Amino acid sequence: MNELPALLVALPIVGSVLAFLAGLVRSKSGWAIAVATLAVQLPGAAILAERAFTDGPVSYVVGGFTAPYGIELVVDGLSATMVVLVSVVSLGILAYARVAGPRSNPFYATYLLLVTGLTGVSVTGDVFNMYVFLEILGLAAYALVASGERGESAVAGLKYLIVGTVGASLFLLGVGYAFVATGTLNMADMSAELAAVGYTSPLVQTAFGLLVVGLFVKVAVFPLHTWQPTAYAGAPDTVSGLVAALVSTVAAYALVRIVYTVFTVEFLVANPLARQLLVAAAVVSIVVGSALAVAQTDLKRMLAYSSVSQFGLVVGAVAVTTETALTGAAIHLVGHAVMKGGLFLAVGLVAASTGTRLIAGYDGLAHRLPGTARAVAVLALAMVGVPPAVGFVGKWYVALGAVEAQSWPLAIVIFASTLLTLAYFARLVERMYFREPPDWTADTVEAADAEAEAGDPVDVVTDGAKPQGVSLGMRATVVTAAVLAVLLGLGAFEYGQLIEPTVERLLS
Amino acid sequence: MTEIASLRPLAAVLASALVIVPILASRGRPNLRESWTFLAAVTKLGIVASMVPGVLAGDVYVTDFGTFVPGVRFALRADPLGVLFALLASLLWLVTSFYSVGYMRGLDEHAQTRYFAAFAGSLASAIGIAFAANLVVIFVFYELLTVATYPLVTHDETDEARAAGRKYLAYTFGGGVAVLAGTVLVFWLTGSGTTAFAAGGIDGLSGADPVLARAAFGLLAAGFGVKAALMPLHSWLPDAMVAPTPVSGLLHAVAVVKSGVFGIARVVLDVFGPDLVAELGVGTALAAVAAFTLVAASVIALRQDNLKRRLAYSTVSQLSYIVLGLAVLHPTALLGGLLHIPAHAFMKLTLFFCAGAIHVETHTDDISEMAGIGKRMPLTMGAFTVAAAGMAGIPLVAGFVSKLFLLVGTVTAGDVVFTAALLVSGVLNIAYFWPIVYTAFFESQGESDDKPLLEGPFGGRFAALSSPDKSGKAVTDGGERGGDRGDDHATHAEDSHENHDDHGESDHDDHDHHGHGGPWERRAPTGAESTWFMLGPICFAALGSIALGVVPDAAVFLDVVRLVVENVTGVVV
Repeated sequence: MNELPALLVALPIVGSVLAFLAGLVRSKSGWAIAVATLAVQLPGAAILAERAFTDGPVSYVVGGFTAPYGIELVVDGLSATMVVLVSVVSLGILAYARVAGPRSNPFYATYLLLVTGLTGVSVTGDVFNMYVFLEILGLAAYALVASGERGESAVAGLKYLIVGTVGASLFLLGVGYAFVATGTLNMADMSAELAAVGYTSPLVQTAFGLLVVGLFVKVAVFPLHTWQPTAYAGAPDTVSGLVAALVSTVAAYALVRIVYTVFTVEFLVANPLARQLLVAAAVVSIVVGSALAVAQTDLKRMLAYSSVSQFGLVVGAVAVTTETALTGAAIHLVGHAVMKGGLFLAVGLVAASTGTRLIAGYDGLAHRLPGTARAVAVLALAMVGVPPAVGFVGKWYVALGAVEAQSWPLAIVIFASTLLTLAYFARLVERMYFREPPDWTADTVEAADAEAEAGDPVDVVTDGAKPQGVSLGMRATVVTAAVLAVLLGLGAFEYGQLIEPTVERLLS
Repeated sequence: MTEIASLRPLAAVLASALVIVPILASRGRPNLRESWTFLAAVTKLGIVASMVPGVLAGDVYVTDFGTFVPGVRFALRADPLGVLFALLASLLWLVTSFYSVGYMRGLDEHAQTRYFAAFAGSLASAIGIAFAANLVVIFVFYELLTVATYPLVTHDETDEARAAGRKYLAYTFGGGVAVLAGTVLVFWLTGSGTTAFAAGGIDGLSGADPVLARAAFGLLAAGFGVKAALMPLHSWLPDAMVAPTPVSGLLHAVAVVKSGVFGIARVVLDVFGPDLVAELGVGTALAAVAAFTLVAASVIALRQDNLKRRLAYSTVSQLSYIVLGLAVLHPTALLGGLLHIPAHAFMKLTLFFCAGAIHVETHTDDISEMAGIGKRMPLTMGAFTVAAAGMAGIPLVAGFVSKLFLLVGTVTAGDVVFTAALLVSGVLNIAYFWPIVYTAFFESQGESDDKPLLEGPFGGRFAALSSPDKSGKAVTDGGERGGDRGDDHATHAEDSHENHDDHGESDHDDHDHHGHGGPWERRAPTGAESTWFMLGPICFAALGSIALGVVPDAAVFLDVVRLVVENVTGVVV
């Protein structure tokens, strides 16, 4: 089926509309529709991936309108990885959201719109089309972040909206400049035309700068990351997991696509300053992200800053143009999505049982919620880079790539990032296992909330979240994430072999 | 060396890894839980021992899982050096398991399930390190060892234990980072992209850029040196003594620290090879660090009153014997250094077991309170004496054999400075072990002398300042200060009696002796002093030290070490 890429984008839109309409008839039916949609999406993505890895890039021209006026969808190994990742993670989080998450139909309609945007960015071969899908995904993300019950969510959504729109606008400007320079919007065509124009032309350089900076906002690279901690902390827990796992990941994919497919390695060779700026952004993100994470008391904000640091690693891999590094970037994008998503869902799980999202509230969690504590410990150690989990494997490839390219400052920072990550995760593990739990239960949390509202001093660690029930689905999702974090590490080499032709093509 | 594909290396690692879940599941039934540990220990020892004859004959057992990252196979390989460490660790784990039962039940410790499960995990990682076939696999198990031993260090869950655990994590993960960096560098430098251990060194490294090769060696040595407690990276070890004594004994005297020196042994012998190390000149630097550590740690040990901390600094010092032997690169020195791995393990384990038995039976941790404890615990202190003698290098105990080879090796290699360091350290060993033995057997409660090394302030003290009115000004001409000498004596005698209980006329103030209440009761040396769960392992370890010292050729370890040295250098010692 040649139209498979387009169908994979269209299906979630249809599902989204259906979910919205069904809400007019029968409320709380959104979840079922979302599950049905994604249950079809996942096999489709698998088939597409199989074709992309075995036969080479799958290409589909929408409506038969060829370049330079039409939109072409191109799916190579990296795109296929992203499409599969998006389907798997969004379906997995639905298992979590059945009990935990918001249950309204508009929520699930927006959820499916987000999946559309994510899939669209992954499969498109046209730069303006990428902007359109980035905006779709952005708008859906803003709405999802704001869908929480607390006022905090609305503020977080607004901040995300403002900063995200600025980023998207920069991206659009970059697209515009590139169009002016080349006269085409198709990525393959543009790449040839840009080479003809010359990589040292100021127009081309400006286009690159605008596109990359716009994507840096979406990926949340320091110092353009400011929306991320607020957004992740203010969003409902389900949404935090979804957005943290997928949105920045796909934005990072977009960065790889723009830098390697549109501008190609020759641009970086012709403009050493561009490469240096990428390396600098990576190094600063890794270090500052970790430093800021250590200073946090709220766990979701800590995880958000941790993402800033981890994506610094990916940007560093993009800057170092070796095969090993790019393979590492792909592995790390997938691995980080699983690990970070799992951690956010675990935070939601703990908040649902105990009412706290503060690090101090995790004291003695191993006694109260042993299974969840174990999963959190495994995920935390996987993020630190304890082998054989996927966090280590991604880091190995990227570090080896940096050493091969003799980019020593980046290599040193990548090695040091293990210790930096340890700095903020170790105290979480220590609190869970080696401290006494505070003497409170769900009842005392309610009492404490009431006290807080009455203005009395509260001496129980809570941040006002009311504990609810914990379902099997929630626990299963978190445990699956932890198990996957280890299994992906063991299988990463096979994936590296699969993606080798794609990486070679990106670098040629 | 013929390579035989076999599942036995994997089975040895899994023997204790697989027991973790049953141990956690047997939470409510202590005897069942402990029997899982014993089962795993016996199985592990059996599997490793079964590989020893084949390895001595020249076979190497390999379990290969396929590629882990490009160019690196995830493989376990039982070669002579690996079998040396694995045999030591598994044998001593069996012994320590008995001791753990006696210790943990004697103190009615909390969280015993977590303790035994983490112990099983630590041993699995240690055997994984022993059998690692390349630098990446050794790194994997190195990190897993850190993760598995952390709950054991923080076991007590007090503020001190948590702080020690944090320090432990910071140091050992830092070491892991250095090992990873070194591994990546080696992988890149070898051109063919390999980190697999090859006796005598990886071929591709000899043609590599010397600056980068030195950097790689430095990173690897520093990374493994954290666990091997090379100064200045040793500081985690004394603090980790807050852990229960079986942990301090097996892990921080045998498994964890020996994995550090084992890593250095792999780097010197199987990654770079003695020839390349000599060519790069890094051997001398490593030997200098080791020699400094030897002596400095021995000096610091003199000042420690807490018995376990003194043993910790002794461990720091003795580990550098091994590193020194490895760094000197002469075959005899290599033999001595490698033989010191099992020799020191047996002796130090005995010493730690004794310290733990004393703690359980009498709740005494400080040497100043142990006057006359030989009456109360004759077998224990007897074993302590034997092991301490061995540490100092006295013949008929294991330490003498390895030390002799080390001394001969350093002299033959021409590095007499290192010989001098070894001899000085031997004297210092006597200096810090003898007071313990003396106070245990030849002093008694209420009649012990002060130990000036322990109680005197750094830099000495002006005799003139020890007057009760503390006028503080030293009299430079030795004449009398204003005031009555007689009065000074009288008030001084009063002060001494107030400040400390039962000491004779002595000239010190400001002391805080916590005299233990009551004298020790005499116990017969037939096991009445403690349970056989603890005494048995103590006697076994002490007898093992004697066996290694009296008939080293019959005890397996020397043969294995000779084979390692022969494979690497081609010289038969």
